[in-house]
Amino acid sequence: MSNLRLIARLDVKAPNLIKGIHLEGLRVIGDPNEFARKYYRAGADELIYIDIVASLYERNSLLDIVDKATREVFVPMTVGGGVRSIDDAKKLLRVGADKVAVNTAAVRRPELISEMAERFGAQCVVLSIEAKRTKSGGWEAFTDNGREHTGLDAIEWAKRGASLGAGEILVTSVDQEGTRKGFDVELTRKIVEAVPVPVIASGGMGSIAHMTEVATGAKPDAIAIADMLHYNRATLEDIRAGARAAGLAVRDTTVGAKAA
Amino acid sequence: MHKNPKITDIDVREFAPGQNNPRTLYGLPQEVKYCTCCVISNQRPNSSVEFKHTKESKKATINFDENGVCDACKVAEQKHNTIDWDKREKELAALCDKFRRNDGHYDVLVPGSGGKDSFYAAHVLKYKYGMHPLTCTWAPHIYTEWGWKNHQAWIHAGFDNFLMTPNGRVHRLVTRLAVENLFHPFQPFILGQKQLAPKLAILHNIPFVVYGENEAEYGNPIQDTETAKRSWEYFARDDSEVYLGGESVSSLKANYGLEAVDLEPYLPADPKKLAEKNVQVHYLGYYLKWHPQSCYYYSVEHGGFQAAPERTPGTYSKYNSIDDRIDDFHYFTTRVKFGIGRATYDASQEIRSRDITREEGVALVRRFDHEFPERFADEIFRYLSIPEKEFPVASKMFEQPIMDRDYFMKLANRFRSPHLWKLEDGEWKLRHTVYEEKA
Repeated sequence: MSNLRLIARLDVKAPNLIKGIHLEGLRVIGDPNEFARKYYRAGADELIYIDIVASLYERNSLLDIVDKATREVFVPMTVGGGVRSIDDAKKLLRVGADKVAVNTAAVRRPELISEMAERFGAQCVVLSIEAKRTKSGGWEAFTDNGREHTGLDAIEWAKRGASLGAGEILVTSVDQEGTRKGFDVELTRKIVEAVPVPVIASGGMGSIAHMTEVATGAKPDAIAIADMLHYNRATLEDIRAGARAAGLAVRDTTVGAKAA
Repeated sequence: MHKNPKITDIDVREFAPGQNNPRTLYGLPQEVKYCTCCVISNQRPNSSVEFKHTKESKKATINFDENGVCDACKVAEQKHNTIDWDKREKELAALCDKFRRNDGHYDVLVPGSGGKDSFYAAHVLKYKYGMHPLTCTWAPHIYTEWGWKNHQAWIHAGFDNFLMTPNGRVHRLVTRLAVENLFHPFQPFILGQKQLAPKLAILHNIPFVVYGENEAEYGNPIQDTETAKRSWEYFARDDSEVYLGGESVSSLKANYGLEAVDLEPYLPADPKKLAEKNVQVHYLGYYLKWHPQSCYYYSVEHGGFQAAPERTPGTYSKYNSIDDRIDDFHYFTTRVKFGIGRATYDASQEIRSRDITREEGVALVRRFDHEFPERFADEIFRYLSIPEKEFPVASKMFEQPIMDRDYFMKLANRFRSPHLWKLEDGEWKLRHTVYEEKA
């Protein structure tokens, strides 16, 4: 079994690292790169940077922040928010992003996923899905930071995205996000079962037990953590130790940690 | 002759794009200006005494200083910079000490919806200041699902609550008249909600009433904040001067089939009784530094408050003023009358609270302010209809008792002020917007 990747997620509204609840009420936390450095040193397997208001404001403001971050952070970085074209993606990859996440633009024009995959390789393309439970018991994909309906079934959309060439799916539960009440395990499991590519579970981690729940109940390849880390409720060391104690395989950061 | 004849098309010449000095309605300022700190315009009316509101009423509007800064931004500056909040908090503690009772009786009345702000107000009073609140709620016209859940979550966080739900037929009729006369579908809510707390204070013998934030934060005269006591003007009572939905009480009785008892919920409390009981009305926002976003965090943390599952039409936000389905239309009508939509109000508040920048606010207004609220439209039009079967008397007063979109939009055009709106290539556009203004 491969290691469960522990990813620090940094939602950015330039110039600040911010955090909301249900992706709403965005609170300023601080300088994103300071937090990025801290998480890198503490052994994060990867970082996710998302400009979560890029589509809301129809702008794209991560280039500078990512450019600076990649000089100090040497684990894979996924960057997203406001990526609307091959050119936007290219710019991010050029300043050092390893993967590019798309949501709104892919909903508007799904072929963008294929075009990016052909151009940069599937491993570079992350489909970001903001999923919210519906009354009928399924999940709908949202855009614009959990604000706009797409009418797409989140599971079907994940399948379609993977078949179009997305190399990874980042699935954020809008219902759980920022609540510290745990991941949406069922959503994560449905998506893990539906797609042949790696899945990152995001939204809701409030305790180490929540990680165990989602890891055993849904078997994602990675979990994204924001609130717990930003508010210092736990460190990555604590989380890693907790994972081991629960019998989950995680990367051994004591060996070659800085060599990545 | 119908008292409310069918709405006909308007003369559009006044709305020509090149019109010089177009006419203004409601006494609004001729020149449109935008605050240099937030995105509100100088057309924003101050809250006024709603039961004196008629078709002819002129509006007092938000004050801008010589630097083009609105009063609401100045209040925000005081909040951030000059007010001694430690001192204010001590005043609150002293006030609570004065009113606190431990004899099994409520000692403070907290009116609210159970949204984030009233949740916070009741919760800190009870759990931090050791008070014994009774909460009360004037029901929305039509609850949203999430609004109802949040109201219940409030109660389940440890509060007794009186929910006053006005007679649905009367409320619909008054709401229709408020739309017909004033294009103000939210007015009946404002009317009822303002009167409920003072009356319950008398009834339950609770002389200490505490609301959440102060209205001055949104632009009423600064003087209002000098004292936390609410102006008694709002509670004055003289039946001959009382209008509901812009219709006089005497006409409602004579023409619309209403009885005195039907109007009771909307009428102000007797000031003599209020004076006898020495009822005091305070705003928590005077004593504690109010920050709506923090109230959201607080109410999620302490009571499982839920943001709306989707953004509100006309704006970007999901956490504020989300419990009434008619609310979407309230802000649609403020945009028609004053050129100010929901995103403008929301963004201005968040700029003042330093949650977003002005540049972001401008982008949000550009993107959302103009949106027509589709999601509940059919239901709202049914709500605003006065069919004969349900309203045998009142229905006769309307040449077209059934509200539909066509009627509503024609009505909207009657309330567009020519100095704000132009009709260009068959499309209604604002003559001035915050995103097209030169800095």
